[in-house]
Amino acid sequence: MSTSISTATSTRTRKASGSTTPEDSAARRVDETGADLACPGCDLLVNVAGLHDGESAACPRCGHTLTRYRADASSRTLAFTVAALILLVIANSFSFLSFSAGGLENQMTLGQTPGTLFEYGMPSAAFIVGAFIIFIPAGVLVMMVGLCIPLLQQRYYPWLRTLAKGIFLAQNWAMVEVFIIGVIVALVKIAAMATVYLGVSFWAYVAFAICFTLAVASLDRYQCWQQIEALESMQ
Amino acid sequence: MSNAHTAAAVGLASCHLCCKLSPAHLQHCPRCGSRLHLRTEESLQRTLALLVTACVLYIPANLYPIMYTEHLGAPTEASTILGGILLLIELGSIPIALVIFLFSVIVPSGKLMVLFYLCWSVHNHQVMDAKQRSQIYRVTEFIGKWSMIDVFVVAILAALVHLGDLMVIRPGVAAISFAGVVIVTMIAAECFDSRLIWDNAEQDQREH
Repeated sequence: MSTSISTATSTRTRKASGSTTPEDSAARRVDETGADLACPGCDLLVNVAGLHDGESAACPRCGHTLTRYRADASSRTLAFTVAALILLVIANSFSFLSFSAGGLENQMTLGQTPGTLFEYGMPSAAFIVGAFIIFIPAGVLVMMVGLCIPLLQQRYYPWLRTLAKGIFLAQNWAMVEVFIIGVIVALVKIAAMATVYLGVSFWAYVAFAICFTLAVASLDRYQCWQQIEALESMQ
Repeated sequence: MSNAHTAAAVGLASCHLCCKLSPAHLQHCPRCGSRLHLRTEESLQRTLALLVTACVLYIPANLYPIMYTEHLGAPTEASTILGGILLLIELGSIPIALVIFLFSVIVPSGKLMVLFYLCWSVHNHQVMDAKQRSQIYRVTEFIGKWSMIDVFVVAILAALVHLGDLMVIRPGVAAISFAGVVIVTMIAAECFDSRLIWDNAEQDQREH
């Protein structure tokens, strides 16, 4: 469900006074606008207070989705994150795909996808592929565990900011769902030439990708930072 | 919407990382410590520079082979991105050919053109609806990483298909340049500040 919101500032007037220091007047301006955030897409000031559980807010001017409020966001995120981490370990432990033609067989693990590129003398491509499909998603997941547990326990630590920063910087660079489509395309491409078997790791990776996507989607940028700030002020 | 109030108009900068509104004269966001800017610094110049880089990388990505196939006894077959698509059509895998054509040809080149157009439209105060342009921008931003499919396909095939002398698939140098195109255009899309589209629209409205 989506609620349309209006600009908080359209009815209010600014009362910037010349006698105060720039810091004071600027700080007051933040309060006077009554806005919670500016749309990242068009900079319109909007008020997103009063969202109910499960509701999301979209910018009334450009349509950008601003935030989604879920009362149980941290526990949802933690649940999907832990599941995704376990599945990623499984996906790295068994056979990913195996391939046989003319009586010969070859098996590959997930780690061999970047590994083989390295062996063929393409360390940069190996690094890029490994980062996008394994290391960045794994790093994001570990950071999300570290962030969600203190949020659930209502405890503040200064490193929460560092973790949240890391998560929101890195999450756009995880390409787990793209990789799955890549695997499917590759399978169809060689299906005519040989028999291909899907291994345990393949299915684990598919489940991992679903959990990872849901985990990232459950952690709302705006709500998460508000929560960290609230915890800090409670100190 | 006329008279829309933007954060910049009341001297507030919105943090690109944590969305906090802070006085624009601050150097760093008081909440997360990121650099604060009213608008991404030199957004158009940076985006254009990255787009040109991507165009340069796009040439070897299409001219050099993305993968080599070695069959027993047969000479090594080198296939470029486009060659691979044509081969798939010959083999009758039309849906897969379409997927690869979409993500390896249409998406990267379309994305370059859209970002060039958006930069040009902001610079020249183009009249096309701001909302439409920001929607186009969001689609471009979202779809960018899907172009990596072809690189992943080559990585998987190379890892999977090496059966001694019988059949071997090796990655080609175009895989690196193509991955470069995807990454550089993703950074270019991130550098482009869509708020500039709206700043333009507001400014034009005030002038009329």
